[in-house]
Amino acid sequence: MVETVTLTIDGQEVTVPKGTTILEAAETLGNRVPHYCYHPGLSRPAQCRLCLVEVEGAPKLQASCVTAAMPGQVVHTQSESARAQRRGVLEFYLKNHPLDCPICDQSGECKLQDYVHEEGRAHGRSREPKRVLGRDDFGGDVLFYGDRCVMCTRCVRFMNEMAQDPRLTVVERGNRSVIDTFFEEGLAGSPYAGNIVDICPVGALVSKDFLHKARAWDLDHIPSICPNCSQGCNIDLHVRDNLVQRLKPRDNPEVNQHWMCDYGRHRYEWMNHGTRLVAPARGRGEGLATGTWEAVLSDLADELAEAREAGLGVRALASPFASNEDLAALRDLVEALGGGEIVFRSPRADQEIPLPGFPKLVRRRDLAPNVRGAELLGMRRVGGEDASGGLESLVGFDGILLVMGDALLDAPEDFGAGARVLACLGTHPPRVAAGATHLLPIRTHAEGEGTFTNVEGRVQRFWPGLHAPGEARPAWQVLAFLAAALGAEGEVPALAAEAFARLAADHAPFQGLSYEVLGTRGALVNDPVSLPGA
Amino acid sequence: MPATVKVLRRPAPGQTSYLRSALKGMGLTFKHMVNPKKVTLQYPEERLELSPRWRGTHVMEVHADGRPKCVACGLCPTVCPANCIRLVGGEDDMGNRYPIVYEIDEFRCIFCGMCQEVCPVEAIHVGQHFENAEYTRDRFVYDLDRLMEQDHPSTLLWDPSDPRSE
Repeated sequence: MVETVTLTIDGQEVTVPKGTTILEAAETLGNRVPHYCYHPGLSRPAQCRLCLVEVEGAPKLQASCVTAAMPGQVVHTQSESARAQRRGVLEFYLKNHPLDCPICDQSGECKLQDYVHEEGRAHGRSREPKRVLGRDDFGGDVLFYGDRCVMCTRCVRFMNEMAQDPRLTVVERGNRSVIDTFFEEGLAGSPYAGNIVDICPVGALVSKDFLHKARAWDLDHIPSICPNCSQGCNIDLHVRDNLVQRLKPRDNPEVNQHWMCDYGRHRYEWMNHGTRLVAPARGRGEGLATGTWEAVLSDLADELAEAREAGLGVRALASPFASNEDLAALRDLVEALGGGEIVFRSPRADQEIPLPGFPKLVRRRDLAPNVRGAELLGMRRVGGEDASGGLESLVGFDGILLVMGDALLDAPEDFGAGARVLACLGTHPPRVAAGATHLLPIRTHAEGEGTFTNVEGRVQRFWPGLHAPGEARPAWQVLAFLAAALGAEGEVPALAAEAFARLAADHAPFQGLSYEVLGTRGALVNDPVSLPGA
Repeated sequence: MPATVKVLRRPAPGQTSYLRSALKGMGLTFKHMVNPKKVTLQYPEERLELSPRWRGTHVMEVHADGRPKCVACGLCPTVCPANCIRLVGGEDDMGNRYPIVYEIDEFRCIFCGMCQEVCPVEAIHVGQHFENAEYTRDRFVYDLDRLMEQDHPSTLLWDPSDPRSE
């Protein structure tokens, strides 16, 4: 039983666990007290003086980010004195702030802009010239605009407490203080430094990769899962013009808290279309011709049925970048064809990169989002650490070959030449398209709905953020159609939720899960892995 | 107050003459023949003087060194109600934010002048100009170079001597 306290904030009673600060208690009421230095994942120096609120009985205004809620306390966040104080503090913040919002990348998501717009003075009274510091390259992906800094020191504290790699510090004192790196070392090579750009409340720290690329208000935020390692960090895809412009972490205390690694953050370009497979096709070698989905799928279903009649076996190559729904649908199709082995190849890094301040968050060795999901669905990992090789059992196979999501970059030229049917489901044309009898364009995870199972066994949903190119369809839909045409039981699912419901019913580790149960935070499979540090 | 009804006496058929009205009309016609009031302009030799507030096709202001004044802040494409401005920002070799692509589709434009109003650096303006004929439709998408080359005056809604309306 957690001990609770009840207090009154702006006339509303609220009950919170003992030890909660006034600021956090106010946030449970939806009452956002302005703040810069406070960040839920970091220590609280109470130095920005912006979260001061009036507490009845206290002689002065109290910093709400460090004042614990007490029973019977009466707090006013919007009283005359609190507002006057904030107005004054904000005027000081603007004393040296350059007001270069038109060319600042933070504009639109800037806390100084928001707060001043809400309750700051309409005009500054300062007539003195502003301090000019210019721009500094902090190394890595980070640029520092000293003029815009409000000295909240979140970045310094992140590097000290979370990355535990103190590379930033405050130089000088008082109004001359400025954030700086030590000598020429900078942030280059620090694997989590990108997070300081996210937590900077103003435009002082900006990403070189995102510099001048898009305005914050133009971006659509789509909840997704980072596809670059098996940690499964919760992220938002920031999309404009049907292109992913950047990735930002999304809070999930069970997986990544507020953070994500730079490795994942900077690998999004592949989601923006390159040379994509856009139309289904059939025919071998020179005879390969595009057709309608209906024609190509019914042709493929007929050929699969014939091959099954002829008693030929089936083997499949899957990809750990495919969702649970896709992999389960592939498993169902292979079962409908008489059953066979499904293998996958996955790139692996040399080492893990943990975040010392939050040990649960680790850049995992598996550099694909759904390795665990593939294993839970009975697929076997083959090939080397760089996702090559391991195709020996498939190359000379003379039955049915199904390839999903693997671009076959290192396959021999005659891959699948002896196979009766070689159906390739992929986002990009496979390198050995000549051997394929059927090419079926499918969607990437950024274009469809689905789930990934992370290294721990947490099943997490992602949502579609981009329009799929051409006629690309979700792989689970294509595979379920083929399975149904071959006489598998059940209807073809129309929604990803239905595909997942079927997967949950058929596979023990996923039993009891549904999209409702998963929600936005995900849920563990029935046999999760306990990880060190968790 | 009860409504009053005015009863007009209508002349019986055959009792009226239209001669007087006809002569009156002819009189006006002859008056204009002798002392004509000019309405038609002999365009293009003669031209109507535009109102200084006229909002026509756009002009991009240029710095003394030939760079556009635009800083690619993205406010004009945001405010544009016709969605006719396309802007891609970038960084030039001096580290300044500038527009890599700045295009206005003058066909979609409704000439409301809000782009000019919202511009923080007084770069884009609507101009005193109306002669825009082209042979192809795509010529009506004005790119940055074309907007910078426009030599007609910008609207006097914006006063160059008092750029911030102070």
